[in-house]
Amino acid sequence: MTSFGDRFLGLALFVLAVSYGWVAQQWPPPFGGHEAVGPETFPTILAFILAGSSLYLMFKPDPDAHWPMGRTAAELVGAMVILVLYAFVLETLGFVIATTLAVGTLCWRMGAKPRAAFLVGVISAVSVFLLFNNLLELSLPGGLLEFD
Amino acid sequence: METLQFLMEGFAVALTPTNLMLALCGAFLGTLIGALPGLGPANGVAILIPLAFTLGLPPESAMILLTSVYAGAMYGGRISSILLNIPGDEPAMMTCLDGYPMAKNGKAAEALAVSAIASFIGGLIGTLGLILLAPVLARFALTFGPAEYFALFVLAFATLGGITGKNPMKTVVAATLGIMISTVGIDISTGTQRYTFGVLELYEGIDFILAIVGLFAISELLLFIEERAGKGRALIQVGKLKLSMKDIYSILPTTFRGGILGFVAGVLPGAGASLGSFISYTLEKKVLGKKGRFGEGDMRGVAAPEAGNNGASSGALVPMLTLGVPGSGTTAVLLAMLISLNITPGPLMFTQNADIVWGVIAALLIGNLLLLVLNIPMIGVFVKVLSVPPMYLLPMVTMIAFVGIYSISHSTFDLYFMVAFGVAGYILRKLEMPLVPIILGMLLGPEMEKNLGHAMIISDGDWGILWGTPLAVGLWLVAGLGLILPYLIGPILRHRMRNAIKEDAVSD
Repeated sequence: MTSFGDRFLGLALFVLAVSYGWVAQQWPPPFGGHEAVGPETFPTILAFILAGSSLYLMFKPDPDAHWPMGRTAAELVGAMVILVLYAFVLETLGFVIATTLAVGTLCWRMGAKPRAAFLVGVISAVSVFLLFNNLLELSLPGGLLEFD
Repeated sequence: METLQFLMEGFAVALTPTNLMLALCGAFLGTLIGALPGLGPANGVAILIPLAFTLGLPPESAMILLTSVYAGAMYGGRISSILLNIPGDEPAMMTCLDGYPMAKNGKAAEALAVSAIASFIGGLIGTLGLILLAPVLARFALTFGPAEYFALFVLAFATLGGITGKNPMKTVVAATLGIMISTVGIDISTGTQRYTFGVLELYEGIDFILAIVGLFAISELLLFIEERAGKGRALIQVGKLKLSMKDIYSILPTTFRGGILGFVAGVLPGAGASLGSFISYTLEKKVLGKKGRFGEGDMRGVAAPEAGNNGASSGALVPMLTLGVPGSGTTAVLLAMLISLNITPGPLMFTQNADIVWGVIAALLIGNLLLLVLNIPMIGVFVKVLSVPPMYLLPMVTMIAFVGIYSISHSTFDLYFMVAFGVAGYILRKLEMPLVPIILGMLLGPEMEKNLGHAMIISDGDWGILWGTPLAVGLWLVAGLGLILPYLIGPILRHRMRNAIKEDAVSD
């Protein structure tokens, strides 16, 4: 039983706590002089609490979870890339095309047959687009398919 | 009598055609959300928040929609417990114990009907309790000063992990992280820019709605991909319903006890719906003793936890509505909706936004009735939806999350942020870090800081004011207990819950 995960998390949080607290000390005193509670008081308290609890995590860590390796890890990174790309092309390609690609690829990677996956992608993209733009009158980007 | 009058006004709000339609939609969607494994109630309500926004619903309608979803999700959780032996959400865990054996004995339809009736009665008892208790608690809460509020918020965090929580220190870390996220942006009282690093999008702070949707919905997708659980599982066939009046009478005493116990567990900080259904199940087992065949498909074993968990879900609304301090993940998400609607939750809401509070309560009553009507004849529809494999479902849920967040602000920056929260949520869940305290921290952080500031102004900078009154000291003590008890009692309780489930597996 290793407990590398919690120790690493604790270390990362400790660094975060110190830098978060340090940044708070750099703010100029607010206009009108110092009060008992300034903008830095609350963050400073938080930094101390987080520093303390992250030290606890480092010294008394829980046993590690099973982390995905190899292919599963690649699939996961792939899914994250799809999500970022989806956001990236949403406005340029338009909602329908972007969604068909994103939903289709995700369904396929989760185990659906490619043809079924992209069919589900097209149907869901078109129906949500029609529902939003016509019935609910909210505009989703038309992108390449925009003609008027 | 005053309460009765308010309740009537609440019904006037909830019974308008639009709101009634929304309650019906919400109840239906909620049951679906609750039924689908991996789409818990908090998750479902979170995905619907952006939609409620973009539809431009007035506050009371938006709240009615989301409360019905919340009530519906509690009904839905039981369906997959009974048919798949996988709880749709955590509180439905105890329903597996007798529900699944019943379904295996060819009594799936009966188990579903009994659990629907028990859910209805449990929900009704819980809502009645809410009507009686909430105004009293709200009046009491008016005596709270800023110092008491500060202590109360600390208490909320300390007890959030629940008595059965695993590692209280992780709750502390998660809550602190959430509050830290809430400090990003321009400080309200002084105008100082905090942690914005000159990025324009950060000046107004980080929107908690995109954090909630990212943390819950996107991380769920990633977890499913990791577990390769895309195919779904085989369902048990649902036969024809054969339920006599005698059967219904036989579960009534159990249901009443379960509902009341559940409500109490829901109101108390740190207990929540999971403990509510656990307590009512074990109590029934004790009370009925050898007369029952618990674990082998006893009807009362289905009724008790379902009544308990629905009672608890109404009970959990008491601290949320009166104090602005939610006791569970889903009520935290409901609180997020209230804050985004510019309504300050807390005791004043009962006077300033009486139409919303009582409209929501009336909607709970109506919603419960609608749910009973929906759940007995339409159970076939829900069962069909349950057989949609996650490999199609989760990508679509993800798409809806994208649509929702995009339509709030029309900015792709927010979408990147949501994905980042999703990835963070996945990693934190793998590290067994609870996500609800993060959300609650983001919601309550600004209020905490404001109350701390007010208390300091009153006391002229003396920190002693934070524990200056007996009430504040009491709150601090309970908060302390909330952190220490999980170490002392938690292992025993968790052990018992595990044993209850193991026993069942043997007799299965």
